Amino acid sequence: MRASDINRVLDFVRDALQEASKVWWRFFDWLAVVEWRQLFLTWFFVMIFFGMVHTPEPGVWYIFISFAVKVLAGGKRKAELMAREATTQANVATLERRLMEAQMAALQAQVEPHFLFNTLALIGQLIETDPKEAARVHAHLIDYLRSTLPQMRQRGGATLGKQVELSRAYLAIMQARMKERLQVRFDVPDFLGSTPFPPMMLQTLIENAIKHGLEPKIEGGTVAVRALVVGADLHVEVCDDGVGIDPHADDGVGLANIRERLQLLYGAEAALDISTPPGGGACATIRLPYKMMEDA
Amino acid sequence: MKPLTALIADDEAPMRDLLRSRLQQAWPDLQIVAEAANGVEAVELGEKFRPDIVFLDIRMPGLSGIEAARRLYERSHIVFATAYDQYALDAFEQGALDYLLKPVSAERLATTCARLQARMRKNATAEAAPPQDIGQQLAKLTSLLENKGKPEKPTYLRWIQAQVGASLRMVSTREILFFQSDEKYTRVQTAAAEFLIRKTLKELLDELDPDEFWRIHRSTLVRVDAIAEVKRDLRGRQMLKVRGYPGELEVSRNHSYLFQQM
Repeated sequence: MRASDINRVLDFVRDALQEASKVWWRFFDWLAVVEWRQLFLTWFFVMIFFGMVHTPEPGVWYIFISFAVKVLAGGKRKAELMAREATTQANVATLERRLMEAQMAALQAQVEPHFLFNTLALIGQLIETDPKEAARVHAHLIDYLRSTLPQMRQRGGATLGKQVELSRAYLAIMQARMKERLQVRFDVPDFLGSTPFPPMMLQTLIENAIKHGLEPKIEGGTVAVRALVVGADLHVEVCDDGVGIDPHADDGVGLANIRERLQLLYGAEAALDISTPPGGGACATIRLPYKMMEDA
Repeated sequence: MKPLTALIADDEAPMRDLLRSRLQQAWPDLQIVAEAANGVEAVELGEKFRPDIVFLDIRMPGLSGIEAARRLYERSHIVFATAYDQYALDAFEQGALDYLLKPVSAERLATTCARLQARMRKNATAEAAPPQDIGQQLAKLTSLLENKGKPEKPTYLRWIQAQVGASLRMVSTREILFFQSDEKYTRVQTAAAEFLIRKTLKELLDELDPDEFWRIHRSTLVRVDAIAEVKRDLRGRQMLKVRGYPGELEVSRNHSYLFQQM
């Protein structure tokens, strides 16, 4: 026999043994969990079958082996199988609990009292000096609260369109306060309006850009929001030309919360990247799989 | 007696407008000589006009209201205006500094004005300088507000900067699994990507939080929270598995004490 033939035969034997061991373990698992009543029933049928073909030995062997295995190892194996199943379930439960916690945290992301007081004061002031502007800011505040307060949040708010709307309202209020120190640019194509997008992430990035980027800068600057499809991914980008990121500053609860939620919702398919462009300032980009519509 | 003068400093124009109009109602004789839009301007204008009273917002770009106050308090009375901020309020309650809660209400402003007027009259008769301990109080306020909530702790590096194309990627230390030195460079590994930076492991070791990253090998720093398990391979070496990374990291003999059984 040539070497290649020997190899082929060896391969075949190995495959056959593997297959046999697989079948054996499946039989073993089945034995471990099967009820005695059902086992008796199979013995009964096996005896009839082998009795009819007048070769009772395989039947006797079957009964003997299955009885022995069931008695000797069945209990342990059964416990192992149940433990494995319980572990899987526990993992799923842990994951679900973490997802729920993250969602709760996002829902409870409350309106900063600071922001609310200042905006109300602004409206009060504008009523005396510029009633038209007061009405405008007032309307923006209502839009903002409607999508921010958990009790008021409507269903279907988790689209990019809704999130952009909320951010526009917020930025309009901030512009009324910071005046020429805050410029805003939106570059979000209309067709992305119905794309699913998790709530409050865009808002957190914009608040960060203003609070850490532009407010500390005397002359202020621009917040630019951009959304685009890159390959199979949706990129949503918030850039500012503010003071940039201090490498020693903690990255804060907001960013950690976004990362955690992205991880739970999309696993490794989504990410939050922070970078500083050559001109200074800071850019935060959320990348996640692009879908045109919410799954029904 | 010549009319008293005042300066208003707030980075938000509508807030300045509000305070000015309220002041005009509450204290028509007070002359508002200047308005500043940030801390630096507040100090400049304060030194130029030498107003009797300075109304200072605390959170301002350039220079915080408290920093500005430390340069102005010897010449002018300081009144802080601040939005809801528990830390600030606690600090003010302890000290004798004047403060207004934003948005400023007419009644509260009237009280403040009355108190200021009384103090000015007293000063005019006694020729007294402002209270001596204001400098100390301001220093205390600075340390309270500037590092609010944080205990005295050295600040560690929280972001690693890595060049990616034309821009600098900021990688939060919370994302990093480990650093590994690689000849001239240091490799930064996250669950999603790896970056090369020029900082050496030694430099990183000095700048990073020692509770956040441990050195496990001459060429490896690992983030403690990312460690999944420690095991021994066939040759008896300790190997680390890190969450989110398929490979294993070797723990050198010198650092194996980190993972001794309790």
